[in-house]
Amino acid sequence: MVLDSASLPSAPASGRIAGAIGLVLIGVIIIAALFAPWLASADPFDLAGPALAGPSPNHIMGTDAIGRDLFSGVLYGTRTSLLIAITVGALASAFGVTIGMIAGYYGGFADDFLMRMTELFQVLPRFFLAAVAIALLGPGVDRVIVVLALTSWPVLARVVRAEILALKQLDFVLASEALGATKFHLFKNVFLPHVLPAVLVLVGLLMGQVLLTEASLGFIGLGDPNAMTWGTLAGQAQGFFRVAWWLALFPGLAISATVLGLNLIADALSSRVQNPAGISATE
Amino acid sequence: MPTVLGIVLIAFLLIHLAPGDPVMALAGEHGDAAYYEFMRERFGLNRSLPDQMLTYFARVASGDLGMSYVHGRSTASLIMERAPATLLLTGSALLLAVIVSIPLGAFAARRPHGSWDVSISGAVLTLYSAPAFWLGQLAILAIALKLGWLPVQGMTTAGDTQSGIMRALDVARHLILPAMVLASQELAVLVRLTRSGLIDELARDHIRTARAKGVTDAAILIRHAMPRALLPAVTVIGARVGQLIAGAVVIEIVFGWPGIGRLLLTSLQNRDTPLLLALFLVVSFTVVVANLLTDLVHAALDPRITLR
Amino acid sequence: MRRRWCLLFSGAAWLASPGCAREAKPARPFVAAVTTDPGHLNTAITTNGSVHTAGGLLYDGLVELNDELEPVPALAERWEVDSAGTRYRFHLRRDVRWHDGQPLHAADVKFTFEQLLLRFHSRTRASLAPVLDRIETPDDFTVEFIFRRPYAALLQQLNVEEAPIMPQHLFQTGDPLRNPANTAPVGTGPYRFVSYSAGSEIRFIANKEYFRGQPAIREVVLRIVPNPTVQVLALEAGEVDWLFGVPGPDRARLRQDKRFTVVQTPGYSGGSNCISTVGFNLDKPLFRDIRVRRAIAHSVDRDQVLARVLFGEGRVADAPISSGIAFAHAAGLAMPAFDTARAASLLDNAGWRRMGKAFRTARGVDGVPDGTALTIRFTAMPGQAAYGDLLRAQLRAVGIDLRVTALEPAVFSQSVFTARDFDTAIISYCNGTDPEIGVRRQYVSASIGPVPFSNTAGYRNQEMDALFDSAASALDAGVRTSLYRRIQEIAVRDQPYIWLVETLNTRAFSARCTGFGISPHFAATAHCGN
Repeated sequence: MVLDSASLPSAPASGRIAGAIGLVLIGVIIIAALFAPWLASADPFDLAGPALAGPSPNHIMGTDAIGRDLFSGVLYGTRTSLLIAITVGALASAFGVTIGMIAGYYGGFADDFLMRMTELFQVLPRFFLAAVAIALLGPGVDRVIVVLALTSWPVLARVVRAEILALKQLDFVLASEALGATKFHLFKNVFLPHVLPAVLVLVGLLMGQVLLTEASLGFIGLGDPNAMTWGTLAGQAQGFFRVAWWLALFPGLAISATVLGLNLIADALSSRVQNPAGISATE
Repeated sequence: MPTVLGIVLIAFLLIHLAPGDPVMALAGEHGDAAYYEFMRERFGLNRSLPDQMLTYFARVASGDLGMSYVHGRSTASLIMERAPATLLLTGSALLLAVIVSIPLGAFAARRPHGSWDVSISGAVLTLYSAPAFWLGQLAILAIALKLGWLPVQGMTTAGDTQSGIMRALDVARHLILPAMVLASQELAVLVRLTRSGLIDELARDHIRTARAKGVTDAAILIRHAMPRALLPAVTVIGARVGQLIAGAVVIEIVFGWPGIGRLLLTSLQNRDTPLLLALFLVVSFTVVVANLLTDLVHAALDPRITLR
Repeated sequence: MRRRWCLLFSGAAWLASPGCAREAKPARPFVAAVTTDPGHLNTAITTNGSVHTAGGLLYDGLVELNDELEPVPALAERWEVDSAGTRYRFHLRRDVRWHDGQPLHAADVKFTFEQLLLRFHSRTRASLAPVLDRIETPDDFTVEFIFRRPYAALLQQLNVEEAPIMPQHLFQTGDPLRNPANTAPVGTGPYRFVSYSAGSEIRFIANKEYFRGQPAIREVVLRIVPNPTVQVLALEAGEVDWLFGVPGPDRARLRQDKRFTVVQTPGYSGGSNCISTVGFNLDKPLFRDIRVRRAIAHSVDRDQVLARVLFGEGRVADAPISSGIAFAHAAGLAMPAFDTARAASLLDNAGWRRMGKAFRTARGVDGVPDGTALTIRFTAMPGQAAYGDLLRAQLRAVGIDLRVTALEPAVFSQSVFTARDFDTAIISYCNGTDPEIGVRRQYVSASIGPVPFSNTAGYRNQEMDALFDSAASALDAGVRTSLYRRIQEIAVRDQPYIWLVETLNTRAFSARCTGFGISPHFAATAHCGN
């Protein structure tokens, strides 16, 4: 079975530099998110200046149509967007790893049932589902997280399951079982450390996808006006493409840089990991 | 098939349990209560949910996907009308991505970690990282408006009545920009698969032997390495179908392309439940079939794999 | 620059942009951009705006509204109203033929009203069905409308948007909502239908037999371009000639450009004279306190709303009824001015105090635990969320936490009008050409209920109800004017709404064309040079 989407397979190991670039990008983004209140020149929802003013010393990324400071918006947007991406990553890996380990280890009926579920959720058209959920329930960060997490875990579950299938035949696993190690011990101390690198790589890629999906939702007008996110900002920039280039440019750059950073790091990681099962294109 | 049914069940419940009333969207402004009651009755919306659900699934089982509230026509015919445009767009984008990714991947694989490799990998990854609507609008602004090379929007020149080859050429001209932008999103995956496949393949014994025999690099690449190396690239396509359709929604809106992505968005806004469900059904069915085909193709191409 | 590229590409001629090839092509069709694929073109069975924009060219009403929105003859060449105001008699033109060659008869009019408009056209149904007794056709070219009580606004409701006349011979049998003529329409209008490619474009050709004479523009194409920004780009690239709307920030830019003409209109018939209005949900205890409603009204800087949300196109509302309905609009009312000090003291008095925090909290407010923050939801459809963004920023200054909820239209309608689950909501109340059409629904207690865009506030006042009833059946214009003035004074006193700004519609079109009307027939009177 083929992996979903942007599970971009292994990177060139000139990756060391690439990985470093990725780390720098993500580092900057994380600092921006953590220190947003100190870095921002204004509250992102307040009227901070004239409407549609271009970048200037007062507003280094300019202001939007109603006079809010874009730099502050992008900074706070970093917080919300990263929060969305991280939460989805965490939820998806929690589901994916648990289900994958159970299916792989126990096999039989549990495996069949869980893999059927996995198939169902894997083919759910993610973007459609997210759009439908938001259009029907109203915009909100929470439902974006739920829908994206719900449609993202299957990839992880499949990879983890494959790893476990290979792993459980190995001598040291059989030995520790024979020595009476508890299942919990086995899962936590043996299986988890083994699958973790592959999972981390996939989660990095997944977070990139989440950011792009969130931006696309903002573009089709399904962003949450109460939450400053990059997607909301990119969506608001729509009507101003010709008169206020800065509104589209800066949020777009923030998204691109973060997705690029996440992918570079994931690549670097995957070339370090000895042939992790999930990182080849096929199972 | 059970997968598809499961998806439709999820969609049915989501749509019917969520707030909002299709009749409100239909009636628009200035209706009166009696009007809404009258319309609800017409569409069977006054019946209980299990009742509606049973009727719906019975109809789907008999091959009837229902009538659109807004269009007053069968949803199947509406989707069939729009599907060719989306197929053309996604198909061309995929083809374009494959065609471009092979030489790029080959170039990159010639000297792994060389400057070509790094620039190509970096470039395709950067394209992948930019939101598609952003690239699309940039392309419209630069290539269509400033340079005037290609049209800004649509699938044909407005009011064009040509047929045959001239019409095909007109469509092709409109297709270039949207297909390019959509393809750029696929490039990253394909280039890297081709590249890594080739690197693995070139390191194999039979290639070394061929090289020792004095076969030229180009010949080795084309005759020996390429067919095997393309295997993962070909098979990954199936798994991308869902993503591709999602990308098409955004691209269709940016370029005014008359496909099913836009149909989905308008039926969402109108809360045209039967059409929305039919679209869900068709899209997820496509994804399931594409996955199945991929597995088959993969098994056929790769003797190491047997189907369960 | 562009020229050079044209030459460069001449080898691959098909690649050349239309900009290069244009000179060679004779009589290019007139292309108008629309945002939504209408789905069908029967304007008698829906009030959906995209259907009316797309189908308007095909049909006629009994009367037309001129640029001053006064009724003038169309399918009816003249009419009489009896002295009681309950019987209207229309004399039809005898030279009108349907696009398929059949003659128009009075039976078509009766049929259209009884079987289509009064059943499916929600606006016409809501206003006429309760008061109309019957329709009679004394002969083939005479139609009579007989009302239960005097009805003053009828002539404003018979134009092509409110009451397009459909051919009985095509709609007689079967379900009108599924009639094939809905997508292959036959009308009497200035243009006849040619083809409809789903999601792409609809083509029309001038009606040679049109009773007002053949339009000068021979071919009209309605092009579906969903993204408003891309519509502007397509106009600039010469791919389309006409836009029904221009995003605010692009207006000034297009106006500077000699290639285009940009005009403003208050709209047409039912969709005209709109006021963006914030409604308070009076079911909520918080908003039963007039001091809170006043305070919020005083906190809103409407000049800034005009400048930053509408980009200066429109005007600050100075009365509850639009200035576009001259006889009913009241001048010199005491509308609440922007005054944050006054707002602050009103809120303090109402028990909402600023305790050193960003947002006010309750202190001795009836039924509210002390310390509750003053958080108010603002429900809007996605197109109007920008009002929310600005109002949120403005209300923060007086310590009110406004939360914007953007909901798709169907969900918006259900939350606001059926579930009444909202605090404040913004609605564009289109007043129409008579207060009966678009103002009454906003204030009378009878229109509280699960009907979209009715009495949002849930405002009940018997005096108000009585005043509207008297104004509706008064036939003397002076009497109506004074009744509507009284209505507006009460509305301002009770403040169930904040009337923000009167909006205008913008049209932008290629400067080579002139002579467009404001009706759905817009292109029928126009000419294009080269």
